[in-house]
Amino acid sequence: MPVEVILPRVDMDMERGKLTQWFAAEGESVAKGQPLFEIETDKAAMEVDAPAGGVLRRVSAKPGDTLPVGAIIGWIYAEGEIAGEAAKLAPRPLAVPLLAGDGRGLRATPKARRLAREAGVDLTALTGSGPLGRVQARDVSAGELPPPSRGRAGEGGVTPTPNLPRQGGGSPSPNLNREWLVRGPRAPLVLIHGFGADLNVWRRWLNHIPPGRGALALDLPGHGRSPLAEPDIDAFAAAIAETLRQEGVDFAHIVAHSLGAAAAAALAAREPDLVGSLTLIAPAGLGPDINGAFVAGFLAARSPASLRPWLAELAEDPAVLGDALAETTMRQRRDLGVGEAQAKVAAALLPDGTQVYSARAALAAYPGPVKAIFGREDRILPARHARALPGSAAVHILPGVGHMPHLEARSLVARLARDNSAAGDERRAT
Amino acid sequence: MTRELTYAQAIHEALALALDADPRVFLMGEDIGLYGGAFQVTGDLIERYGAERVIDTPISELGGAGLAVGAALTGTKPVYEFQFSDFSMLAMEQIVNQAAKLRYMLGGAVSVPVVFRMPTGSGLGGAAQHSQSIEAWYAHVPGLKVLEPATPYDAKGLLLAAIEDPDPVIVFEHKLLYKTKGPVPEGHYTVPIGKAAVRRGGRDLTIVATGVMVPRALEAAEALGGQGIEAEVIDPRSLRPLDVPAIVESVKKTSRLLCVYEGVKAYGVGAEIAAAIVESDAFDYLDAPIVRLGGADAPVPYSPVLDRASAPQVEDILAAALKLARG
Repeated sequence: MPVEVILPRVDMDMERGKLTQWFAAEGESVAKGQPLFEIETDKAAMEVDAPAGGVLRRVSAKPGDTLPVGAIIGWIYAEGEIAGEAAKLAPRPLAVPLLAGDGRGLRATPKARRLAREAGVDLTALTGSGPLGRVQARDVSAGELPPPSRGRAGEGGVTPTPNLPRQGGGSPSPNLNREWLVRGPRAPLVLIHGFGADLNVWRRWLNHIPPGRGALALDLPGHGRSPLAEPDIDAFAAAIAETLRQEGVDFAHIVAHSLGAAAAAALAAREPDLVGSLTLIAPAGLGPDINGAFVAGFLAARSPASLRPWLAELAEDPAVLGDALAETTMRQRRDLGVGEAQAKVAAALLPDGTQVYSARAALAAYPGPVKAIFGREDRILPARHARALPGSAAVHILPGVGHMPHLEARSLVARLARDNSAAGDERRAT
Repeated sequence: MTRELTYAQAIHEALALALDADPRVFLMGEDIGLYGGAFQVTGDLIERYGAERVIDTPISELGGAGLAVGAALTGTKPVYEFQFSDFSMLAMEQIVNQAAKLRYMLGGAVSVPVVFRMPTGSGLGGAAQHSQSIEAWYAHVPGLKVLEPATPYDAKGLLLAAIEDPDPVIVFEHKLLYKTKGPVPEGHYTVPIGKAAVRRGGRDLTIVATGVMVPRALEAAEALGGQGIEAEVIDPRSLRPLDVPAIVESVKKTSRLLCVYEGVKAYGVGAEIAAAIVESDAFDYLDAPIVRLGGADAPVPYSPVLDRASAPQVEDILAAALKLARG
């Protein structure tokens, strides 16, 4: 069995060392304990003895190379031992050429190794960005792809959409970013956020999801990580329907807020058998007026400081929104480019402080249970729009609550959604 | 109908429902009758069900647990309350050598449907002999089921499942959770033993937290969300059997795992979870070393400052998660 020749740690704080000289050449016999090579650290030069007697082979570092501590720089074979045979006995090299070839020691996470294996990428050619130069998944991705605009690519439950151009004219129903917050055997809740928000708003609902129900949260087109194709409510509904099909959902209860509620109504009218019930929170599309100053100010804000006063309009007690919402919103605009897309949505659907889209006909056509929940103190969409609902819809008007009932009165709204979805379960085709 | 109940009220309700539903069920323990229990969980049950079904036992954990195991062997369903889980060490012989093994040793001819309720954990100034978290000790024993509910909903549903289970079940109830509130449906329901709950969805890291660490992890996860990091929080609810597939699925999604538990870190719950992940197909999805956050490697101190410092707190979880997510 050959013995590896390793670049040793000679200082407590040494992480790398420079090989300055070999005292033996490839193929030369050495005795155990004889000086074999010399290294130089920040502090000193030092001779290193041969760890075993035999023949020096497979030398993989040359004078001048700087290497991490622990790197294998050569092997000492017993006299007469054949390198090829010994290699079979030596620990099996990993599928990724980590030790074979140049023989450099290499730190890489299991995920980075797997991704490199699958993509046929040579890990040794990558620069690790993790602790002590550890190669991580992001380093592998960066090696093959153009520099990503965000961190790691998601896997499993999260399906980030590719960076499609956020311009109009693309495919009519682009893939929406979606995430199963929880899975369950019963017909799921599909959670749809409002204008300017994203699916993260529902994370605080997880404790309120009825036992056994799944909860699938979506990013509307032009929001979060979903691209915008066409700023049109029916296109939004088509994209949601397509997303549910991709997730294998053929019957679901929709819980939707504000602009998302208008899209949900369009979806329900278009696919009444898919939608078991509609729980609409501060729904848009029930009257002409909307707080145009809010929409304009929200979109125009260029810093958390100028955004925060507009966000405060959303709720009676803005503390329920969380301290970080302004920063998170600005970061999304910067990293995901949603600001431009949302300006397009607002220009098309909410021009001049007016809601140009009406959900009334869609709601009148939908045969399932509809519950609409309004905050009486809503400063974005007035609660009096409740009057436009069909007589079959249940209306809840919550005093002391603004435009965000799902956060301001979380337990109550979740309970109403649960009751409504339980009623809607009966509609499932048998 | 669902109301808000405290964790203690939810357990009280589960006990009453079990006493109503099944004449074989009865309660035993020190001071559970007239005094209402060391943490006032049994409360008025002695007045409602009488001293024959809510039995005050002498100050002998070994004797009380032995009576419970013997009664269970005869076909009744005793629920034995320890005042503190620490005191169950006196009854180890009955729990580990008798209750856990008799079904195996007698070839399945008997079962031991006993439930041991164990108030547990630090944070109330109980010092070294009244504050321990010894879940892992019992989770190491084949033949026992070990539950650790974190919410009032689970406290009720898991206790009812434990009472209905044919084998010995230990339920760890964290003392700091007794006064926490949450939605609890009226009437009978059970939570399946061995199924984890995903308390919060996320893509950037998985936090597996047990007992009182669940609300702490959720609070940390909220703060992480403000920094653009979305943590998935998993509450195993049951340590034995452990829902390994749920954790595997989550780690395959997030590639990062933080285990948070109050028991002493070494040889603890987190070690088992970390090893299960490394042994699973989630290994090839790990993008950082697994991190464990557990109790200090010391007896729990009496000083309130040190008592707090001996167990992971929200700020500790936040710091560890940030380091893990950004590393």
